[in-house]
Amino acid sequence: MAGGGARTVDCAVHPSIRQKDELREYMQEPWRSRPFPGPERYFYPAPMGEYAPEARADGGLPGSDPELAGRRLFTEMGVDCAVLIPLTRGLLADADLATAICAATNDWMAATWLGKANSHGRFYGSIRVNPGDPEQARREIERWAGHPAFVQVAVPMQAHRPYGQRVYFPLWEAAARHGLPVAVHADGGAGVDFWPSAAGYYSTFMEYRTLYPTNFAYHLASLIAEGVFDRLEELTFVFADGAHHMLTPLVWRMDKDWRPTRRETPWTKQLPSTYLRTHVRFCADRFEMPDDPKVLDGWLEITGAHEMLLFASNYPYWDSFDPREAFTSAAPGVRERILSENARALYKFKPGATTPGGQAGKPGPS
Amino acid sequence: MGRYVVGRTADLPPGSHRVVRAGRVGVGVFNVNGKYYALNNYCPHAGGPLCLGDVTGTTEDAGAYNVLWVRQGEIVSCPWHAWEFDIATGRTITEPTKAVRTYPVWVEDGQVILETDGDPGSAARRQQPGGG
Repeated sequence: MAGGGARTVDCAVHPSIRQKDELREYMQEPWRSRPFPGPERYFYPAPMGEYAPEARADGGLPGSDPELAGRRLFTEMGVDCAVLIPLTRGLLADADLATAICAATNDWMAATWLGKANSHGRFYGSIRVNPGDPEQARREIERWAGHPAFVQVAVPMQAHRPYGQRVYFPLWEAAARHGLPVAVHADGGAGVDFWPSAAGYYSTFMEYRTLYPTNFAYHLASLIAEGVFDRLEELTFVFADGAHHMLTPLVWRMDKDWRPTRRETPWTKQLPSTYLRTHVRFCADRFEMPDDPKVLDGWLEITGAHEMLLFASNYPYWDSFDPREAFTSAAPGVRERILSENARALYKFKPGATTPGGQAGKPGPS
Repeated sequence: MGRYVVGRTADLPPGSHRVVRAGRVGVGVFNVNGKYYALNNYCPHAGGPLCLGDVTGTTEDAGAYNVLWVRQGEIVSCPWHAWEFDIATGRTITEPTKAVRTYPVWVEDGQVILETDGDPGSAARRQQPGGG
């Protein structure tokens, strides 16, 4: 078993509040006393349980103890620093409520995991915003953009429109202007989501887990076809839910259609697959990829994993990826890129920028 | 050398084009704004009859979802998969550039003259269909 690597970056850790109403401490009325869904997925629960056994915290939800998480990630697994992506509550019918939950999540993060629990300075965060209200989302980005521990923006996979569509553009423009990548990840809770497929509701968790991450293809194709990457040179999307090796070949299909249909998309100036390398990154998933190491090596190369893939543990979930076991058969240099260098080229990590008590990086005016 | 009289200039006014039975698949002769151009009738994408396509213009991005219609009459669009070529150069208007073979064509005494290299199969063989 290879070492975790002194410089391993974990690009997706999912911290939780301790108990379900803790988030309300960071909310104002009228949202503070408003009912809203809990953090767990509603439609397709994992039949064996969602969480890794070692993530269960005494007296709190799994993944709610930053000290326990820190011991697991930094001490046991040898991770150097971690990017936290807390989940919000998916698509809620009330856009203002969803926005309030995102703002409270960011305040909670700044106070706890990025504040008083971050004396080691190894936790970094994602600014949760609600694309359902793009103007409020843009303001929330502006509120936190100066905080040194927030290194990206995070939005749910669930959406009412693919993310390339023009209503969302001000959001991505703000993120790009501040040098913040945008992470996409399936959200917690269940709101007014579209049903999961073009053939209706599948039945099992296995179907859900295999298929749901491929929804990123809609966002990816939309971002390319609507020219978002052409207009925002600095923008990077991070798809934080796996499926890199499935989605990159899908863009090869798009390559074939680009010239025949160019008249409809004159703003897409390059072959679609060229945008992957310059504008898209993917978090690795433990339970995917070919088993045969020889096939895996070839597949990583064909799909550009050495440039685009980012290691992620997905702590505290049952399918957590241990970096010590990750890509151990990869070609020389590739493992280091996936475990560390690709993330360090992408994120602006400032070690030691936050101090205990969260003194540094107070949010700007709302 | 294959030398063909395509026709009288009066029969090939600006905006018109015709396919001459030269070479293996023919050669398209186009009049764009009074100047003549000749393209092999074999699309570098998948071998389609490029010169049977529409002579048209195309769209151009003018920023922030604004679109202009430009270059009317300068573009030929392959009838098989709509790849767009600049008639004057035979090159795709997209990159990576693919190009169709071009030939010299000029006017002499009111007639349009086309010159190919005379070997019926050579023009088509020189081009292989390409990918995306």
